Amino acid sequence: MDIKKTLFELSSAYGAVGENSASKKAYEILSKYCECEVSGNNLTVIGRMSGKSDYTLMLDAHIDEVSAVVTSVDDNGFVTVDKAGGIDIRTLPARPVIIHGKKDVKAVFCSTPPHLAQKETEYTDISKIKLDTMLGKSAKDVISVGDVVTYCTKPKSLLSNKVTGKSFDDRAGVVCLLEVAERLSKCELPINVVFVLSDAEELGLRGAKTAAFKVMPDEAVAIDVSFGDGPDILPDECGKLSHGAMIGISPVLDISISKKLTDIANNNKIKYQTEVMGKSTGTNSDVISVTKTGVKTGLVSIPLRNMHTDAEIIDLDDLTSVCDILEKYILSGGIANV
Amino acid sequence: MFEILKNLCNTDGASGDEVAVRDLIIKYIDGFCEWRVDALGNIIVFKKGEKRAVKKVMIDAHMDEVGLIITAVTPDGFLKVKTMGAMDVSVLLARQVKINGEVDGVICSKPIHLLGAEEGKKLPKEETLYIDIGAIDKAQALQNVSLGDCAIICGEYCECEERILSKALDDRVGCAVLIDLIRNESKYDFYASFSVQEEVGLRGVKTATYAINPDSAIVLEGTTAADITDVPEDKKVCIQGEGVAVSFMDKSTVYDRVYYKKALESGLKCQSKSAVTGGNNSGAVHLNREGVRTIALSVPCRYIHSASSVALKQDIISAKELALFMLNGIASGEID
Repeated sequence: MDIKKTLFELSSAYGAVGENSASKKAYEILSKYCECEVSGNNLTVIGRMSGKSDYTLMLDAHIDEVSAVVTSVDDNGFVTVDKAGGIDIRTLPARPVIIHGKKDVKAVFCSTPPHLAQKETEYTDISKIKLDTMLGKSAKDVISVGDVVTYCTKPKSLLSNKVTGKSFDDRAGVVCLLEVAERLSKCELPINVVFVLSDAEELGLRGAKTAAFKVMPDEAVAIDVSFGDGPDILPDECGKLSHGAMIGISPVLDISISKKLTDIANNNKIKYQTEVMGKSTGTNSDVISVTKTGVKTGLVSIPLRNMHTDAEIIDLDDLTSVCDILEKYILSGGIANV
Repeated sequence: MFEILKNLCNTDGASGDEVAVRDLIIKYIDGFCEWRVDALGNIIVFKKGEKRAVKKVMIDAHMDEVGLIITAVTPDGFLKVKTMGAMDVSVLLARQVKINGEVDGVICSKPIHLLGAEEGKKLPKEETLYIDIGAIDKAQALQNVSLGDCAIICGEYCECEERILSKALDDRVGCAVLIDLIRNESKYDFYASFSVQEEVGLRGVKTATYAINPDSAIVLEGTTAADITDVPEDKKVCIQGEGVAVSFMDKSTVYDRVYYKKALESGLKCQSKSAVTGGNNSGAVHLNREGVRTIALSVPCRYIHSASSVALKQDIISAKELALFMLNGIASGEID
């Protein structure tokens, strides 16, 4: 699989309430390697591969993205929105987006003209930043309250195998699952593997909750993105781009999984870094682990910069490191025999 | 005219680095006029008309746009930048940029999850802005860019029904109108300047006006339109759909009263720029030598000085019509 091409295709697609082009694309690819079904709100995709034992490992990555939702449309073609996911409203002025109305409409958040700008503007209320549909009074014909608004920036390559674009959180994780599925489809598996591309993570880890209930695996590993280094971020708050997969350790994660993932990376000389969290992880692993009677759960993350903006950055080599660890981990049976 | 505008907008030209825009403009006007490039990089144009002008008229539009300049590189390979021209930090955070028209990057933005409650309410200081081009360290960064290189925020031109969404509408709308006037037959001789360095203090047009030494000047611009719902009427400055905005006064100029009134009485679609804000090349033009009678005609642009400014096509056409009316009126002596 061409990892960059697949990531760019998925990044350019949409995954939000009522907008499932990313799910459709991912379904198309995953179907090449295993039996797939679409579940939940038409966004969650589940693929299953059988192994030699009854033991089932579930891999999860979320397919949805941060978005916004239309709350009013006025006669001058201006719209107000509310957040559907953690968007930094300080970054919205003059940002182009797509409103998914009766047709897709390009729109731009208003920026305060210089003569009206106040020195210490407080960015606390997203409804104060109007969205200009550029349609004037005909906006009401195509846009309704409840329509979804997403970023629309096209992905680009940067230096040294880094790439930038929207929704790498967590399409980068989705690409990992697709790549691992392709690699495993050529192997005899010691255990069953279920691939879950889950919905509504950005709205409170909801899709993985019901998907894990449906699958009820013996073990799970969530693949997400985590904070990468930047000029204004303390080194102990983040991982480093180009330094490999981030293997999670936290009270809510199963330590034997974290340990085995680390051993595999060490034994196979795969680049990794350890991400220690003192509480829950803020990822789907938090909810998967407490499904029914409990599921032993691990977490592997790709370091990412500028999270929740349309200028997210990852290093594709880090993504590959995650794939390498997961492939070896599954072929060795996860923690089935630990 | 809109095809030319599109190509102008999609070309990068920060203040002091207008080469690519200048080359493109020369491509469009060559063969339609006499032109030369002066020491600062302005294009000075003489357009021969059917008749000699009673008054020597100069029409100006500036080629440069707001941008960033690289001032340092960190050991980790991030590029420290300063703004050139007034830009709010909110329109810079987490934007794709292009450096030298070829190297891609983005402006860093600390993730919302790591912002403290107070930090998340306010914009970071301009001094904390860095560009990330994906370099692993300072050495790799410096193989691809140099100190002093310019970055432009990406904002691809797109036509949305009756409107245009693009970076650099300030002042490529003026350039596009001026190119159109030059490429068409003119009734009277006139001069023109496509000037550099407007956004850093009206610098290029100063020498261009000195060289041309006009009696009268028409400055073509893009200006703030704050015609957004909830902005009070008296703060809207100008309104899209009401035609080109004619200035009576701004922070840099008190405009020629006769020209201002004749423009409004022309019968062509236009409006007064209803606030004494901003400034444009007129500030330097009207003080040239012993003084130059000056009028500014501005296309109303929403979200000016961002990479997502918005203009209405009809207003750009109205700018052209009024510019032509004023040119012919002044050059013939009818407007005096």
